[in-house]
Amino acid sequence: MEKRIRRLGIFMMLCMVAIFVQLNNIQVVKANSLATNPANPRVQAAGRSQPRGDIISADGVTLASSVLAVSGVYKYRRVYNPNTAVLFSQIVGYNSLKYGNFNGVEAEYNSYLVAHNKPAKSLRDLLTSQTEVDNVTLTINSNLQSQVAQAVDSGAPGVNGAAAVVLDPTTGAIEAMYSNPVFDPNPLASPDLATETAAWTAQLALPGNPLRAGAYNQIYPPGSSFKVITASGALEHRPDLAAMTYPVVSSIPLPDTGTPPQILHNYSFEPCGGTLQELLIQSCDADFASVGQLLGAPTLVNQAQAYGFNQRVPLDVPASTVAISNFGTAAAFAADVPGLMKSAIGQDNVAASALQMAMVAGTVANGGVEMTPHVMAQIRGSQGNLVASYTPKPWLRATSSRTAATLTTFMQGVASSGTAAGIFPANWNVAAKTGTAEVGPNLSETTDWLIAFAPNGQSKVAVAVVVPKQAAKQTGAGISGPIVKQILQDILGNQ
Amino acid sequence: MPVMTLRTPQSMRRARGVKARRRTEFGLLVLASLVIVAAYTLMVLGNTSRLPSDSIPLLVSLFLLAAVAHVANRVLAPNAHAVILPIVFLLNGIGYTMIVRIDLGTGKHYAPLQAVWTAAGVAAYVITLFVVRRSRDLDRYRYLLLFGGVVLMLVPLVPHLGANINGARLWIRLGSLEFQPVELAKIVLCIFFASYFAEKRELLTIPTARLGNRLVLDPRPLVPIALAWVFAIGVMSLEHDIGFSALLFTLFIGMLWVTTGRTGYLVLGVALFAIGAYISTRYFAQTHIRIETWLDPWKVISPSDPGGQLRQAWYSLGSGGIGGTGLGLGSPWLIPNVRTDFIFAGIGEEMGLLGSTMVVVAFLLIVGAGLRIAQAAKSEFSKLAATGLTIIIGFQAFFIIGGVVRLLPLTGITLPFVSYGGSALIANYVLIALLMRISDEGGTTADAAEKEQYEKNEESRRALLAGPRR
Repeated sequence: MEKRIRRLGIFMMLCMVAIFVQLNNIQVVKANSLATNPANPRVQAAGRSQPRGDIISADGVTLASSVLAVSGVYKYRRVYNPNTAVLFSQIVGYNSLKYGNFNGVEAEYNSYLVAHNKPAKSLRDLLTSQTEVDNVTLTINSNLQSQVAQAVDSGAPGVNGAAAVVLDPTTGAIEAMYSNPVFDPNPLASPDLATETAAWTAQLALPGNPLRAGAYNQIYPPGSSFKVITASGALEHRPDLAAMTYPVVSSIPLPDTGTPPQILHNYSFEPCGGTLQELLIQSCDADFASVGQLLGAPTLVNQAQAYGFNQRVPLDVPASTVAISNFGTAAAFAADVPGLMKSAIGQDNVAASALQMAMVAGTVANGGVEMTPHVMAQIRGSQGNLVASYTPKPWLRATSSRTAATLTTFMQGVASSGTAAGIFPANWNVAAKTGTAEVGPNLSETTDWLIAFAPNGQSKVAVAVVVPKQAAKQTGAGISGPIVKQILQDILGNQ
Repeated sequence: MPVMTLRTPQSMRRARGVKARRRTEFGLLVLASLVIVAAYTLMVLGNTSRLPSDSIPLLVSLFLLAAVAHVANRVLAPNAHAVILPIVFLLNGIGYTMIVRIDLGTGKHYAPLQAVWTAAGVAAYVITLFVVRRSRDLDRYRYLLLFGGVVLMLVPLVPHLGANINGARLWIRLGSLEFQPVELAKIVLCIFFASYFAEKRELLTIPTARLGNRLVLDPRPLVPIALAWVFAIGVMSLEHDIGFSALLFTLFIGMLWVTTGRTGYLVLGVALFAIGAYISTRYFAQTHIRIETWLDPWKVISPSDPGGQLRQAWYSLGSGGIGGTGLGLGSPWLIPNVRTDFIFAGIGEEMGLLGSTMVVVAFLLIVGAGLRIAQAAKSEFSKLAATGLTIIIGFQAFFIIGGVVRLLPLTGITLPFVSYGGSALIANYVLIALLMRISDEGGTTADAAEKEQYEKNEESRRALLAGPRR
């Protein structure tokens, strides 16, 4: 019996050792990530008992800061600059005691913004920690952001989900990103829980849920703007298809759709055809559907994924708030040729975020290399010392530079003599592609796109604008064209 | 052949050992009291930036309580283990400090009642030592104890008297007082098991029944014990509690194995437990949820679901890190049920890995002492009883701490001596008193080691005298 009691003792000791090991795992290995987890209520509480770092726009406007609270339990209050709070709400996010800190820069760079331990240099530092906060500077200029917002709001008044993304194709830096509706983050960060609750409930009740960023967390069928990708597939992988001349047709029958077969027709049944360049300039639906069919599902799917479809865009906001742009899989298309043909013109199940389509335009502008998009420019300590700065990183290689150059010529043709003709002054040298996706019951609505880049001069800029829920007779050129023009004018005019 | 020994008379050596042991205990109790008061003072200072006005009264009352228990030991159990009581005292004091700290954070007042319960616990300790003068007295009332245990476990099911708290019907309510009778039942059942196993040990160990041409274990002695077990688990299911079911089950299987050494019982036990756990996961929502959150505590992260007590406990432990936030400087009240099930996380937050490890080590020391007492105990009954009592303390701590750190599914039981709760405190003080009683009777581990060494010497001498073996 003594022996077994000893064994029992050894067993119980092992149990306690297991606890000790796990405690080390929690309190040493995982300690920092747990302590700075945005869902940890201490993180918010710490932001209130100590100041939290500032968030600053590229032109030096303080967007978010901590101020001494006049009353209440907590010493500090998180305040969003009233001039920019609404404009930047979907980029900066909000720091709520009750609803946590799950959005935007506030969440993504929380570990810098929150009072955190200075790196321990001695045992004393390890036991008695000294805290500091860092300030985050964004790539977004508050003036441009405001101009873009105005362009969207006046170009598509009262439209829920209209969005615009402006980025630098060579670095991936987001220069402006806006979608309506937006919200005021100040009541959500109120020290008063009742105010927070009321604001939260009110936002959720609004149509279009402003808390969900329309520019990167909503996806819409891209329509003909997707043809840039289909054309890329042909130029990159099938020179024979790129060199072909396509017949002038107004509609084609879809295979495997019974007798009589379903018809896929051009816009207003206009006859259209020619070289690949002419197809893109005129945006021929029927012939582009054929290009998709000839390319085949594996090639087209690969090309779409090479632009970032079917994966999460690595924008530096919490990943769970970034929508995945959708394109079908080769396996699904194997049994669905009509689906493949519709997908080749951005219809059917294809859906993309405004950010994704701006990146498509940017990739063409940047010689086929898709840069990682980002909103953080640099992070500085409270003494002004540089803590981190963003170095541009390529994300995907979508096409060769030759293909990109050819596409640029094609897209300049769209702006000079194609579906986007007459929108931009010729000397801007704009390359563009329109998109008019037919959606809704009986295709009674359109989602109107225009993606563009202005390749003149040193600084390149890529833009995507999407306006959903428009009348069936509207087009990407008609609705989104003027908005893009206004945005480019704001940017190029400032140069 | 007479054996020559050059040893001082046993009684003299014993008396000297006893004095030294009680002196050690006294010194450790004073030390524990000082540590508790220091922790309390730091905690209030950290939280309110002012020195507490009641440090001295606290120290005086701690000394008084320690003195009462210590004098009782000197008079009633002079030969008992020296370290157990100081450790228990330290755990109790750290727990009390945390409860005051959580009161400061929440504006509620649980600490005064905990102080009263602590005093009641010490009283229960003294009374137990006084009433149970010999451990074999307990052996005599085996079936009375069984009856008592059964009644204690059934009481919460009585309408109007029993009460549901947090989904478990484990409490009885008398006026404004709530009591958990199962805390006492665990001790009573442990004594019953010890008594029964000690008597039936051979029947349980040696195959006597015939099955075909093979000898197998006689199943008859297992019948009452199986009944007792089925009853215990059944009642626990009715009361919707897994913590105590698991504890009683572990106690039962552990003691049966220590008695018989038959691994078959362990295998059977684990298999039975797996079946029981599966059934309870299928049919009891509470268990099901606990298993789910154990497997994936991060599953429901969204702004509208800030809850999840396990996550909150981890945030708390992680925020503590190695050195802790400092006493009075963390936010342990953010964890649900921090006074009872999750007090360990609160300690880990404010005292860090150092503090949480200290608590684990304290329990390990109690377990070590308890098992040494069991080994040195004189009779089979007292050996088994000491083993069982140690299993209760050790595994209760392991289950709840293991639940908090996600080694095990969470079982809502209290951390002995640390958590808030009157019945738990009183029962655990009674438990410690019984352990001390057995320790007092059983001589010391030093004696046991000496005895072993002496017997070895004897053996080699005999071997020498017998000459070389052929």
